Amino acid sequence: MTTFSERVKVQGRSLWSRNADKGVSLRGERLRREGKNEWRQWNPRTSKLASGLLKAEKSGLLPNSGTTCLYLGAGHGTTISHLHDHLCGPENKFNGQIIAVDLSTKCIRSLVLLSKSRPGILPILSDCRDLISISPFLPKRVPWIFQDVSQKGQVHIFIKTCKKYLEDGGTGLLSLKSASERNTKQAFEEARKALVNEGFTIVEQIDLTGWEDKHVLFHVVL
Amino acid sequence: MFPDESGNESAPHSGQNIGTGESTPLLNYLLVIVAKLRFRTYFNIGICTLVVRLVWDWRLARIYDSQEQVFDEVVWDGHRTTAAIIVRLHEIQTGRMTAEARILAERFPEHDLSEPINFSNWPELNIEEKKALEKATICIAEKSIIRASSEPDNRLDHMIRAVDDLRMTHNSLESHVVEWISLILPWVDIDYKRSEIMHSFSKSSDLKELAKMLGVESSDVSLNQQEWIAMRSLAKNVVAQELAVDDLEKSIREIANTHLPSLSLLLGPLLAAKLCSAAHGIGRLARLPAGTIQVLGAEKAFFMHLRQGTDPPKHGYIFQHPWISKSSKRSRGPIARMLASKAAIACRCDYFGGKPWTTKEIAEIEKKVGEIRSRR
Repeated sequence: MTTFSERVKVQGRSLWSRNADKGVSLRGERLRREGKNEWRQWNPRTSKLASGLLKAEKSGLLPNSGTTCLYLGAGHGTTISHLHDHLCGPENKFNGQIIAVDLSTKCIRSLVLLSKSRPGILPILSDCRDLISISPFLPKRVPWIFQDVSQKGQVHIFIKTCKKYLEDGGTGLLSLKSASERNTKQAFEEARKALVNEGFTIVEQIDLTGWEDKHVLFHVVL
Repeated sequence: MFPDESGNESAPHSGQNIGTGESTPLLNYLLVIVAKLRFRTYFNIGICTLVVRLVWDWRLARIYDSQEQVFDEVVWDGHRTTAAIIVRLHEIQTGRMTAEARILAERFPEHDLSEPINFSNWPELNIEEKKALEKATICIAEKSIIRASSEPDNRLDHMIRAVDDLRMTHNSLESHVVEWISLILPWVDIDYKRSEIMHSFSKSSDLKELAKMLGVESSDVSLNQQEWIAMRSLAKNVVAQELAVDDLEKSIREIANTHLPSLSLLLGPLLAAKLCSAAHGIGRLARLPAGTIQVLGAEKAFFMHLRQGTDPPKHGYIFQHPWISKSSKRSRGPIARMLASKAAIACRCDYFGGKPWTTKEIAEIEKKVGEIRSRR
């Protein structure tokens, strides 16, 4: 049994997070009781962070509880909800904050609904290429940035965002979808080069094959 | 306006100065006085060079000196309601100054602008501030969703797709019902009387009545009562679908006529709406070149042309316009080209607030269409 934190662990072959919103299964995940705690299964097929956690060989993928995190490409909030389990806890008792940015109104709608039952989530409808529109919500640099925006120039967006918002020694996670880049075959290699050139230290390049094909999760430190 | 006349008195919150590491409090005080008197804020007085940087977020504004020490600070002391925070966040988002930043900007006219994120000693949000920011952010998100949905583009898009789907299911369901009837009443002319069949079927209570309504002999096929009920409810459904298609089209026409007046006048409201939805909104349609508008809806043929070198498509959705579809094959290309460029102009008139077109312009274009037709 591997434990990532007090609230995230691997048991058997699956990943579990301790449910911050007791009794609620967001997308029909399995819930399991263990004494006073309730654990919620974190499906690696719908969450690249989960598959990264299961495949990573080095630690340090998750942020510390109670910090502020930036999440670009929040989607419908599946990963966000598990991250919230870890970062904020029930009724946000750790005082963490997740700044969740997405471009689609549909996604923001489900995030707004999610944030009602899980305080600590800040949904922002914005294009993540437009960094100024996020700036009022982020007065300080953050220790953890995750980006999952399958679109052209993902690496460039990631570099720009990290340069502006990631604090020294902070962790950046970039989920790169090779099919979104023009040069599909060399996408990973090019991204690696670009990140190194910009001064990032690549801790690990996690291949998500098996859970999410043609995706790689870059774990970098600024 | 000199600050010593009125600027400082009108400021709601006087600045507090915080001693830097190297300079004495007295010297610092003198520096502030000098700066307030609108002398140069860049100057040397032996110990430190004064380059001030103005920094603000929604809670406070600060002046930093070149050693990243806080030099002056104004904190927002107003009532921190969600509405007020939203206004401030919006100000920052659009690059404007908050009230505190303006006070400091007046106090130190020669400042450099900088971002709070670059300063390690910028204060963290405390728990109340975090909660307040969260509340305001959710409010902003809700508002932005409503703003996005109140744009006619999005609603038009949904209705166009709905009407397409509805028509498709309507066609296939209708053909199921008609084929079924042609099995039990083989004498019905299903081509000639197609439009009547549905209505008569949905109103009749048994096979005999249906045959009578359609004016043919009844057959003695032994029908299960349940089968009859099932097929008749399907027929009723098809009739209801027809009405729904009509309603949807009516409302699309209404929206298109107000949202795209010139384009609707030129191409008809339904086609105008379809082009708008195919281009992902009026804003993008207005920026598309006429050549693209001409082949919108013929993407398959167009990319086949790019990949395999087949002939390029002459027209996309715009083909539905009777000027093109009712012309001879030879003149369709030139007319489509001309109509697409006029459509581009009309759409730009609508989007950028030009004068809406009247029937006069349309008549001129129609004349041009006639010329092209007669030339070929």
